[in-house]
Amino acid sequence: MTNKFFLPSLLFILVSCSDSFDIDVSFGSSDSVYQGIDNAFESTYIPMYSQPILFRSANIYDGLGGEFLNYDLLLSDGVIKEISKSISAPGVFVIDATDKWITPGIIDIHSHMGVYSAPGVSTSSDGNEATSPVTAEVWAEHSLWTQDPQFALALKGGVTTFHVLPGSANLFGGRGATFKNISRNTIQAMKFPGAPHSLKMACGENPKRVYGNRRQSPSTRMGNMAGYRSAWIDAVEYADGMNESNEDRRPKRDLALDTLMGVLKGEILVQNHCYRADEMAMMIELSKEFDYKITAFHHAVEAYKIADLLADEGICAALWADWWGFKHEAYDMVQANVAIVDQARNGTGCAIVHSDDPVGIQHLNEEAAKAMAAGNRAGFNISKAHAMRWITSNPAKAAGIIDQTGSIEIGKDADIVLWSGDPFSVYSKAEKVLIDGAMAFDINDPKIQPITDFDLGIIQPQKNRIQ
Amino acid sequence: MKGFSKNILLLLLTVHVSSETILLKGGLVHLGNGEPATPKDILISDNRIASVGKNLIIDGNTRVIEVNGLPVTPGLISPMSNLGIVEINSLDVTRDDESNILSAGFSIFNAFNPNSTGIPWNRSNGVTSAISTPSASSFPIFGLGSYFVLDGSLKVKGSKDIAMFGRLGSSNESRAETLAILESLLEIGRLFQNSTVDEILDMTLAEKLELQPADIIALGKVVNGGMPFVLETNRAVDILQALSIKQKYSLNLVLASVEEAPMVLDELKESNTPVIIDPMDNIPNSFDELGSNLNLGKILDGAGIPIMFSTQRSHNYHLMRQGSGNAVAHGMSYETAIQGMTDTVAKTFQLNNRGSIESGKFADIIVWDGDPLEPSSFPKIVMIEGELQDLTSRSSKLTERYTNSEEKPSSYKH
Repeated sequence: MTNKFFLPSLLFILVSCSDSFDIDVSFGSSDSVYQGIDNAFESTYIPMYSQPILFRSANIYDGLGGEFLNYDLLLSDGVIKEISKSISAPGVFVIDATDKWITPGIIDIHSHMGVYSAPGVSTSSDGNEATSPVTAEVWAEHSLWTQDPQFALALKGGVTTFHVLPGSANLFGGRGATFKNISRNTIQAMKFPGAPHSLKMACGENPKRVYGNRRQSPSTRMGNMAGYRSAWIDAVEYADGMNESNEDRRPKRDLALDTLMGVLKGEILVQNHCYRADEMAMMIELSKEFDYKITAFHHAVEAYKIADLLADEGICAALWADWWGFKHEAYDMVQANVAIVDQARNGTGCAIVHSDDPVGIQHLNEEAAKAMAAGNRAGFNISKAHAMRWITSNPAKAAGIIDQTGSIEIGKDADIVLWSGDPFSVYSKAEKVLIDGAMAFDINDPKIQPITDFDLGIIQPQKNRIQ
Repeated sequence: MKGFSKNILLLLLTVHVSSETILLKGGLVHLGNGEPATPKDILISDNRIASVGKNLIIDGNTRVIEVNGLPVTPGLISPMSNLGIVEINSLDVTRDDESNILSAGFSIFNAFNPNSTGIPWNRSNGVTSAISTPSASSFPIFGLGSYFVLDGSLKVKGSKDIAMFGRLGSSNESRAETLAILESLLEIGRLFQNSTVDEILDMTLAEKLELQPADIIALGKVVNGGMPFVLETNRAVDILQALSIKQKYSLNLVLASVEEAPMVLDELKESNTPVIIDPMDNIPNSFDELGSNLNLGKILDGAGIPIMFSTQRSHNYHLMRQGSGNAVAHGMSYETAIQGMTDTVAKTFQLNNRGSIESGKFADIIVWDGDPLEPSSFPKIVMIEGELQDLTSRSSKLTERYTNSEEKPSSYKH
């Protein structure tokens, strides 16, 4: 808690951004001549051991707006097999979920876990390659520390999937990647299989402050724009060059331009840190100039001012419930931000509650509860079943993994949370968290609670850090 | 304590006399003193709580507000905030929480801006008063915090320089040095009991520490059980060091953060030291706080240690409700949580007329639309010194503007 009463100083450093999401995008199956580096560092994820599990008499929010009271839910082979009033499955392990709630595993579209690991010391500060405003060549996953104790804390909060982004010091911060919240000793073994990369872009105060302080560009918002445009001009030329049928005529491979080209091809999703409404609109213009799609704006404290535009463009906004005041561009906070974005254009908006924070990620249900209540005070009529989308299916869409997870539907990954009570109550806890049908966390069984290498015997050798 | 009450400058510049006598009828009233809530009526007259109970006798001029069983609490008091002294963290020109010259004697009181946007925002969320503190610009003591009533009045109500704030823990230098500096500063405070400012200024030690007269006078107030001294510290062994200094200098010590307190629970309990915690912070953010855990509140509560609440970030001090709600979810008693946001702060910082719903105290009262510890709840009524407060904030105005579907530019929606 050092220093945190007084100023959230870290926030100045790790600014993040948001993406744009395109549900029609197809990942990694481009038939263009040059395949880039899409096969490098692929996921080697293998689910933990699981057995078929039947939850009996559960109340369920399916993450798509549906509510099912007193239903049975069968998980088998790592996927959701059946949801109905009464399932007969002889010999299957049964968990009584009477008076409890089941939701999809919580998904955070904006995390820096593993790249800003705990303890937050200089040796673990691996999220901002703040050496040049354009560092599209770096990948957040190459910084990840698999023993970050924050992963296990997020798991206790019901988080089964999270997207790790580089920070927001740069105009182009690098690639983000999506992970299953599973304890593994290699980064690739945690990677969500088949999930697309993202490109972190950042608007506003952070890049202009970081580089302006060094008397270099960008030092203004117009400098930011010039920086993006110059990079995209190079990317378009590079992509054209890589389409040459004669290999000898192709340009030398460039990691940064590979990333930008991936965006132009629709294979990499843009997650764009951007607070102010006018800047978000400008970023949309920029995306049209160079023909790419923004998947989501992140932080977007002023998203409510352009909620219709975001809905029209099919861009999600990943938001906090109530953070404000730490920067000038975070001054116009309204607690109804999430609800206004969600309800735009007859409820076709895509709102996400994100954390950008190792404490917040453990309480995304509470953050969604605040956002829902504020929306309803502002005159909307948003149900809990609907608000559950903000921390499940909507972030799954924005991460490009909606076909695999983010909702309770037959055939999807069995990423599930069993809550002790109403998932929107501060008093409820995630009792069991399943990832691909495997029990990753059980509040009543210390044997099913991950303890990282970092946690092991660190304060007193006989004990573990949290016991 | 005696010395402190002599020194404290109580600045109740105006006692606003409310013309209205109000009966809050039929609320589920948390007195703030740790007793479980029961249905009660509250009669408010002349800014103060006149009586609390059932079937109170009222005259025909009393305005009766039916509360219909909603939860009622004292107005929340933030024990550590930057309200009124920081507008935007990243803009130094909007910050008045640091001094380049003063250390222990740096007072933020005269910088308080009653028109700061954080005030109506926190007030509409149930925070009726707060202690604002200097930031951690100097080490190990930053300066003096003051208490402010958040009614937005330009005639600032509150108490000047009610506590000193500091920190002990990891830095670029050895904490042994920090401790030595801290002890030297307190030694100056002790010397001031029997010396003049000029005599102390002539000492080499004062020169080495670059002390100003205001620093020396302030240090004199914290030794020998005077002004509360709030020390932020986490590591178990640092907490023990703090307790030993408390004894040596008879400090009226309050410990903040204390993430490793469970390891030194007996010593902490025995020392009778209140604490300020952020119950949601379970991140081992530094090597000082490896023991960070969500059960901190439960363990401290179990030992009977008085608990108050800080928040993870600035600007939203009302979120101590969410923090204390999480503490209750992890085993703290419900009434300790309510008390920790109200009466415990008032008692710890000697805010004698605040913090509980008790006859004779200022009528700082919140009526909630639901369980005050649920983050989704919100105040229905905010009363400060008997006055019903308008719940409008800049944020509520922006919400109104952008949920108004009239076809005209937003600047014309007002």
